[in-house]
Amino acid sequence: MKRWRSYFLHILIFIFAQLAWLALIALWIYWYVSNYIIFSQVGQKLAPQMMPEGRNIFALVSGLVLMVAISAGMWLLFRRLSIQYHMTLLYDNFIANVTHELKTPLASIQLYLETMARRELPRPKQEEFLALMLKDTQRLNSLINAILEMPALEQKRIAHKFAVHAANPLFYGLFEEAREQFQIEEEVLTVQGTLPCQCVADRNALRIALFNLIDNSIKYRHGPLRISISLRCTEKTIQILFADQGIGIEEGEQKKIFDKFYRSHSDALPSVRGTGLGLYWVREIMRFHGGEITVSSPGRYGGSVFRLELPIYRLSKRRQIEKLLAKSRRKGSDGEK
Amino acid sequence: MRSETYRGSRILLIEDEESLAIGLEYNLTEEGYITIRAADGKQALAEFARQSFDLVILDIMLPFIDGFEIARRMRQIAPQLPILMLTARKTPKDRIEGLQTGADDYLTKPFHIEELLLRIKGMLRRKAWYGESPEVTRIYTFGDNEVNFDSLVCQCGKKTIRITPHEAMVLRYLIAHRDKVVMRKELLEKVWQMSGEMETRTIDNFIMRLRKYFEPDPAHPVFIVSVRGAGYLFKSG
Repeated sequence: MKRWRSYFLHILIFIFAQLAWLALIALWIYWYVSNYIIFSQVGQKLAPQMMPEGRNIFALVSGLVLMVAISAGMWLLFRRLSIQYHMTLLYDNFIANVTHELKTPLASIQLYLETMARRELPRPKQEEFLALMLKDTQRLNSLINAILEMPALEQKRIAHKFAVHAANPLFYGLFEEAREQFQIEEEVLTVQGTLPCQCVADRNALRIALFNLIDNSIKYRHGPLRISISLRCTEKTIQILFADQGIGIEEGEQKKIFDKFYRSHSDALPSVRGTGLGLYWVREIMRFHGGEITVSSPGRYGGSVFRLELPIYRLSKRRQIEKLLAKSRRKGSDGEK
Repeated sequence: MRSETYRGSRILLIEDEESLAIGLEYNLTEEGYITIRAADGKQALAEFARQSFDLVILDIMLPFIDGFEIARRMRQIAPQLPILMLTARKTPKDRIEGLQTGADDYLTKPFHIEELLLRIKGMLRRKAWYGESPEVTRIYTFGDNEVNFDSLVCQCGKKTIRITPHEAMVLRYLIAHRDKVVMRKELLEKVWQMSGEMETRTIDNFIMRLRKYFEPDPAHPVFIVSVRGAGYLFKSG
C-alpha cells in the first residue's frame, strides 16, 4: 500500500515537473514574441541597424531544442527510476524466497538434532534421520553455491572457458550427466537427432543452463515426468528443442520468465522452491555464447517448449570466435596468476 | 503426565518440505498424537473435508493454495479449530496477516521442537477447556444478544456478526464466572495460557470489542462491567 502511494507520488512529481517546463516554454515564447513585436516596432524607428534578424530566430530555435532535450532527459530519468523500482520489488521477492530456501533445511536439521538429543532412537531411525540431514546439508550447499555464483554471472565470468567442441558428443554427454545427476531413466529423458558440426562453448556453463531447464521440468511437472529433446544443425546454428509435458506457461508470462528474480505466481504451481534466477541464467549463458533462448507453450497444463540456438563454428565467422577463445585464454591465465 | 489427556488428538500437519514433515510427524506420533500429513494446499483441504481434526499445523508457502487462504477457508467451516502457523516468514506483516486470517499461534522456522510441542499442548488444553465448560450452554442469551458458541455467530439485536475464537473464549470465561470478578491476569492465564508477559492491555482491547458487539451503549456497559483495580465482571442481569 505504502509502496503504491510512493509510486504515485513519483508519477505526480513527474507530471508536475513536465507541466512546469511546458508553462515555462509557453511563458518564454509569449515573452519573446511580445518583446519582439515591441522591439521591431520601436527599434525599426530608432535604430534599424540594431535588428539582427537571423540571430534572433537562432536563439528561439536553439532554446526550444534545449527545452526538448531537457524534457527528454527527464523522461529517460523517470523511466530508469521506474525500472529500478520494479527491480527492487523483484529483489524483495528474491530475498523472501532465499530466506525460505535457507531456513527450511536449517529448520529440518535443527529438528532432527533436537529430536536425537531428547529421545532414545533405535539405530535404523537414527540412520534414516542422518540421511535426511545430509540431504538437507546438500540442499543448503547447492543454494549457497548458487548465491556465490551470482557475482560471477553479473561480471560475465560464468562462461569463460570457451573451447571448440564437436557438438554431438558434447550434448549427448551433457544429457547423460543429467540423467545421472537427477536420477532419471533413459525413457523419461529422450534425445533424438544428431549434430554433425562443431561449436564454441563453455561446457560447464552449458551444463548449468541445461540442468536448470531439466530442474524446472521436474519441479513444474504435471503428471509423470517426460522430457523430449531434439537436436538439429542448420547452416548457421545448432537448434535444441527442449519439450516437457509440465504445467506450461501462460502467454502473458512467457517473456517475463527470463527476467531476473521473476517468479510466476499462480495457484496451478506445484512448487514453491526457487530463487527466480534459473531461467535468467540460462538466457544470459546463451547470450554469452552468441545464442538465444525462447519459449512457447499452449498455456496451462499444455507443457512448454524451450528453443535454444547456438552459433556453429564456421570459418567465415572465425574472427568473432577467435575473440571468444582469446578472451577465455586471457581469463584462464588471469586465474592462474 | 498431563499430556496423557490429549493423547489421541488428531493433528493435520500441512508441510510441503518432506524432510521437515517426516521429523515433525515422528515427534508428534511419539507424543501420542494421531498425525495426518498433507504436502500441498489441495491435499490439505481434501483431508480437512474428509475427517475431523483437533489441531492444524500449517506452513504458509505451499504449492497450489497458500497457508493464509487455507486458514481462511478452514475458519469458515470450523471457527474454533486451533491453527498453528509454522513458517520461515517472520516479517511483522506476515505475522499480522497470519493472525488476522485466523491462526491462533505463529512460530517461525527454525524452531525448537520442545517449544512447538508445548504450544500444541497449550492449544489443545484451551480447546478442551472451551468444549468442556458445562456452566455455559451452547447457545447463550443475554439482553438482546444471542451467542452461538459453536458457530461463533452472534445475533446482536438486528445485527448478525461472527466473533473470533479468542473473543468467544473471553466471553465464555466471563459468562462461566458470571457475577464474580474475573482478574485480568486470570483471563490471560486461562484463555491465552500466558503468565503476565503479555500486556494486560490486550485484555482491555478484547473487552472493548466485546462491549462494542453486545452492549447497547458501549460507553456505559451493563453486561461486561469494569471493577476498578480488580478486573471485569459479567452481570447476568
